[in-house]
Amino acid sequence: MRRYFGRKLLIYAITFILAVTVDWAIPRFMPGNPVEILIARAGLKAESAKLIYSYYMKAFGLNVPIWRQYLNFWIALFHGDLGVSLWLFPQPVMKIIKQAVPYDILLLVPAILLSWLAGNKFGAYAARSKWLDNTISPLAYILQATPYMWLGMLLAWLCGVRLHLLPFSGAYSNAMMPSFSWSFVWSLLQHWILPFASLFIVQFGGWAIGMRNMIIYELEADYSHYLEALGAPRKLVRSYAFHNALLPQITGLALQLGAIVGGALATEIVFSYPGIGFLILQAIQNHDYFLLQGSCLFIIIGVLLANFLIDLAYVLVDPRTRVGMQGEE
Amino acid sequence: MAQPRKQNEALYFMRRNAKLQIGVAIVFLFIILALVGPLITKYQPRDYVAPGAQPPSSEFWFGTTSFGEDVFTQFVYGLRSTFLVGMVGGGLGTLIGILIGFTAGYRGGIADEVLNMLTNIVLVVPSLVVLLIVAAYLEVRGLVFESVYIALFSWPWAARAIRAQTFSLRSRDFVDLGRLSGMKPLKIIFTEIAPNMMSYLLLTFILQFGGAILTAATLDFIGLGPTEGMSLGLMMNNATTYSAIMLHMWWWFIPPGLAIMAIVGSLYITNVGLDEVFNPKLREM
Amino acid sequence: MRRVVSILLVLALLTGVLGVTSVAAAATTEFPRSQTLYTGGKQWGPPSNWNPFMTGNYATGTIGLCYETLFLYDPLTAKFTPWLASSGKWTNSTTYRLVLRPGLTWSDGKALTVDDVKFTIELGKKTTLNFSSLWSWLTSITKVNSTTLDFKFKTALYQEWDNYLYNLPIVPQHIWGTKSLTDVATGANDKPVGSGAYLYNTYDQTKMVWEKNVNWWATKALKLSVAPKYIIDLVNTSNENSLGLVLQGQEDLNNNYLPGISTLLTGGYALHTYYPSAPYNIAANTAWLDINLQKKPMSDLAFRKALAYGINVADIVSRDYNNMVQASDPTGLLPMWNKYVDQAVVKKLGITYNPAKAKQVLAAAGYKDVNHDGYVENKDGTKIALKLIVPNGWSDWMAAAQMISKSAKTVGIKIVASYPDFNGYLDARLKGTFDLAIDNQANVSNSPWTYYHFIFYDQLKDIPTTQGGNYGRYNNKTAFALVTQLDKTKTTDLAAMKAVISKLQTIQLTDLPMIPLWYNGMWAQMSTTYWTNWPSSVAGKNHNLPVTWNGYWNMTAILMLTQLKAVKQP
Repeated sequence: MRRYFGRKLLIYAITFILAVTVDWAIPRFMPGNPVEILIARAGLKAESAKLIYSYYMKAFGLNVPIWRQYLNFWIALFHGDLGVSLWLFPQPVMKIIKQAVPYDILLLVPAILLSWLAGNKFGAYAARSKWLDNTISPLAYILQATPYMWLGMLLAWLCGVRLHLLPFSGAYSNAMMPSFSWSFVWSLLQHWILPFASLFIVQFGGWAIGMRNMIIYELEADYSHYLEALGAPRKLVRSYAFHNALLPQITGLALQLGAIVGGALATEIVFSYPGIGFLILQAIQNHDYFLLQGSCLFIIIGVLLANFLIDLAYVLVDPRTRVGMQGEE
Repeated sequence: MAQPRKQNEALYFMRRNAKLQIGVAIVFLFIILALVGPLITKYQPRDYVAPGAQPPSSEFWFGTTSFGEDVFTQFVYGLRSTFLVGMVGGGLGTLIGILIGFTAGYRGGIADEVLNMLTNIVLVVPSLVVLLIVAAYLEVRGLVFESVYIALFSWPWAARAIRAQTFSLRSRDFVDLGRLSGMKPLKIIFTEIAPNMMSYLLLTFILQFGGAILTAATLDFIGLGPTEGMSLGLMMNNATTYSAIMLHMWWWFIPPGLAIMAIVGSLYITNVGLDEVFNPKLREM
Repeated sequence: MRRVVSILLVLALLTGVLGVTSVAAAATTEFPRSQTLYTGGKQWGPPSNWNPFMTGNYATGTIGLCYETLFLYDPLTAKFTPWLASSGKWTNSTTYRLVLRPGLTWSDGKALTVDDVKFTIELGKKTTLNFSSLWSWLTSITKVNSTTLDFKFKTALYQEWDNYLYNLPIVPQHIWGTKSLTDVATGANDKPVGSGAYLYNTYDQTKMVWEKNVNWWATKALKLSVAPKYIIDLVNTSNENSLGLVLQGQEDLNNNYLPGISTLLTGGYALHTYYPSAPYNIAANTAWLDINLQKKPMSDLAFRKALAYGINVADIVSRDYNNMVQASDPTGLLPMWNKYVDQAVVKKLGITYNPAKAKQVLAAAGYKDVNHDGYVENKDGTKIALKLIVPNGWSDWMAAAQMISKSAKTVGIKIVASYPDFNGYLDARLKGTFDLAIDNQANVSNSPWTYYHFIFYDQLKDIPTTQGGNYGRYNNKTAFALVTQLDKTKTTDLAAMKAVISKLQTIQLTDLPMIPLWYNGMWAQMSTTYWTNWPSSVAGKNHNLPVTWNGYWNMTAILMLTQLKAVKQP
C-alpha cells in the first residue's frame, strides 16, 4: 500500500515541479516584455510612457534577477497568489480564475459523469448482440472522431441560428444579473444546454466504445466460460462482466481528463462560455502572460488532483489491488 | 515457418471484413483528394477569385469565403496539411512510443520503472494546456513544429500498448528457444518478436494518426497552429472569426469538420476491422 | 455506483449555480429593454478597473459617462464646446485662464469647484499618471477666484494643451485626496464617483451597467438630458458574437470591425451606419507602412519611392475591406484635416499607385533583376526579400499584407507577408528590427500636430519605452524643429499652422519616411429596433460620433445619447 501510493505521489510531485517551472519559464523567453504591451494598449503620450514604463517594471517585479523571480513565483504560489493580470490590471489572477471556475464545474462535471454512465450502458448493450454492435459501434466511433468545436458549431448553427431554439453564446441573458430567481436559473439552463450537449455527445462515443471492448474481453475470460458451463443465466454472467469492465473505465476516466479539458476549451470558445478555457483564449489574445500562466497552472494542478483522487477511488473499488499490495508487503 | 500461412490467413480475412474495407476506402478517397485536388484547382488557397460569401455553385464547388477565396481550394490544401500532420505527428509519436515501450517491456527492471514513471508524467499533464503555453510565445510556427509537438504528448498511449505487448511476447516459447540457441538479442527482436508485433504496431500507428489529426485541428482552431499555410482547423477558425455561422455560410465550416470526422472515424473503424482480422477471438462477435 | 455519481452530480450543480450567483448581489437584477441602450466593441475583457488615469484598462464610459472633461471637442467641425469649463483663453503667451461653470455637482451631491480641477492636475505632479509629462512645461496653477484658474507655463505648447482640455478627467478631491498615491496611480477605483450623466450601477463578467444620473448638472445648465436609463456595455467575446447580437437587435450600438456589414445593410436587419453608403464610417486613423530606414535597400530614397509607386491600395480597399475604408491621400492626414493639406505640394510630390513608374524608378536607380527570378536585387548583387509584419490574428491586416506582397511582386520587389504573434510584432517595431510593418497608431485628435509628432518623433533612443512613433528611425533635425514649432503655434492662427505643415509635408513627400495606406473607420453599426435618431451624415440629423471607444465620449459621443429616441414597441 505504502509503495503504491509512494510511487504515485512521487510521480505527481515531479510532474508538479516540472509543470510549474515550464509554466514560469516560458514567458521569460519570449520576445519583448509584458509592460510594452500594456503601454501599447494604453495609447499614452510618448513622454508619459517613459515614466510609466519604469513604474510598471517595478510593479510587476521584473526588475530583479531571474533566479529571484523564480523563487518569488514559488513563494507566491504557496500563498495561493498567482500574480496580477495584465489585461485586467489590477485584478489578481486568482480572483479572475475563481469567477470562471463555477462555469467549468457546471459544464464539465455533468458532461463527464453523464456521458460516462450513458456510454457505459450503451457500450454494454452493444456487446450483447452482433446486430446491436453493428449499429451502435460505428455510431460511437464516428462520435468519438468528431472534433468538439465542429460539433459545437453545428449545434450553434442548427439550434441557434437556423431554428432560433436556443441561445448559443454566453452563460446567461445580457439583460440579467445573477440572482436566486427562477428566471435567472432558467436563462442559465438555456445557455448551458448546447455546450453541455457538445461535450456529452463526443465523450459518450468514447466511453461506449471502451465499455464494449472491455465487456467483450471479459466475456472471453475463463470465469465467464466457467459460469456459463455451470448453467448460470446470461444476465448474471453479463452483470459480472459489466462490473469487472467498470474498473478499467475508471482509470480510463483519469487518463482522459487531459483530453477532456482540451475539448472543453474548444467548446467554450465556440459558445463564448465564460469558463477557464475561454479565459485562456482571451489571455492569449490579449497577451496577458500572467493570466495565461496562472490559468494553465490551475488546470494542471486540478488535473493532477483529480488523477490522485481517482487513484484513491480505484484502490477502494478494486479489491485486487488491495490484495496485490498485501502480497507486496 | 509459421509466417506464410499466417499472412495468407490475414489477407483472407481482410478481404472479407466490411469495416476494414469501408474504412480504408474512405481514407483512401480523401488521400486521393488531397493529392489530386491541388492539381485540379487553378487557384491558391489565399487567392481572391470571386465576390465574397458565395454559396456553392458549378464554378466554386464549395462556395467562397467572406473575402472571396475558393473554399474548395482551401479544403484540398487543408487536407494535405492535415494528412501531413497525421503522418509526421502520428509517425513520430508511434516511433517514440515503440522505442520507450519496447525498451521498457524487453529490459524490465529499473529501465521499466523509470520509463514507466516518465510515461505516467507525460500522460497526466493536460497536453493542450502546455502546448498553449509554449505555442503562444513563439513568433513563427510551422507544420513540422506542430507535428513534433503533438508527437511529444501523444507517445505515452503508444508506449503503454507496446510495452504490454512486448511483455507478453517476451516470455513466449519461440523467444526462449531463440535465446537458448544463442541468437543475438537484436536478431531475436527483429526476426522473432517484431513480426508478431507488426499488426499491433500498425494498429497503434493508425490510432496515433487519427489522434494527431484531431489535436492539430483543435490547435489550429484556437489559433495556435502554423502561422503560414492552410489547414482544416484553420478554415474553421477563419469561419468562426468571420461569423460564418451567423451569416449562414454553412459551406465554409461544414466541409472541414465533416472531413475530419470522416477521416478519423474511418481510421478508427479500420482499426477495429484490423483488430478483428488479427485477433481471432474478436471475429466471433 | 449510481448513488455516488448522483451525489457528485448534485454537488457539482449546486457549486456551479452558487458560484455563479455569488458574484456581488446587484440591486437591479433585470433591465427593461425599452430603457436600456446596449453597446459593445470597446471592452475586450470583464470590467476590472474604473481608474480614469489608466488608459487602456478602465471600463467603457469611465471617462465620458462617469468622469468628465473641461471641454468637448468636435473633430468634424473642429470646435470646442465648453463642458465643465465655461470658457478658457490665453491671456498672454504663457498664461491660460480657465473659467469653471458654476453649479456643477458630483454624483454624491458635493459641489465641483476649481479646487477639484487644481487638485486633479496636481496629482500628475505628485505621482506618475498618464498626463504627468504635462508638468515638464506647466509651471503652476493659481486660483484667481472661486471660478477661475490661471495656468502658467514655462513654454506654451498650444496644440498639446488643447489636447488636454478635452482629455483630462476631473476627479473629486474629497475622495481622491484620501487615497494613497499607489492607489491613485494603479488602483481599480471601484464604485467610482464622478460628475457625469451616468452612475456606476453594477457589473459582471460580461457587462458594465451604468444608470442615468437624474441630478446631472447639464440638465439644468445646458438643457440636455440623456435618453437611455441604463447603458449596458457588453464585453466582446468575438466578432462573430457581436455580429449576431447586432443582427438580432440585442446590441444597439456596436463599434467592432464587422466584415460583411456593407452587404447586411440591405438585408432587412434594421441596421444603420453613419454614412448610408461607402465608406459607411468616419475615418478614425491612418494605416501606415512603417519602413525601417536603417536597413538596406530601404535606406535608399529611390527604393522607397518605387515601393510607394508599387502598392495597390485600391485593391485592399475594395477586396479586403469591401469599401468600408478609404484610400489615404499621399500626406496621410485624415479627411477632417483636408484644410491643412497643401494641394500644391501634393500635386508636385505626391505619389500614387503607378506600377510602370515604379519599375522606371527602380531601373534608373540601378536595381536590376540579375538572376532573372522576377525580383530585383540590391546594387551589390545581394537578394532583396523584405518581411512585412502584421500581428497574427488581425485577419484584415493579414489579408492586406498579402495584397501588398502581390502588388509589389508585379513591379519586381519581393515582399514576404509574415504574421508573428502580437508581442513579437510589437517588439520588432519598437526595437527597430523589422523590415516593413503596418501600424495605425496615429488617431483622430484636435490637431494634426499629433500626426507629425508620430511621423517625426525625435527621441529615437527612447522609442522602445515610449512607443512615440517614427519606428523607421528617420533622422531629420529640420523636421523635428518644425514639429516643435508647430506645437508652439497658436491654434487660432490657421495661416501660421498651414505654413509650418506645408513645410513638413514637403519633407515628408520628398523623403518618404513612411507610406500612408488607408484610413480605418470609426467602426459603428447601429440597430434601429429599439432606439432611433442615431448620428448620421444625412442633412438635418445629428452629426455626433457614434463611438464608445476611449476618448470618443468627450468628442461628442455623449451628445449622441441626448438625441436618441426610444422606438415605441408593439
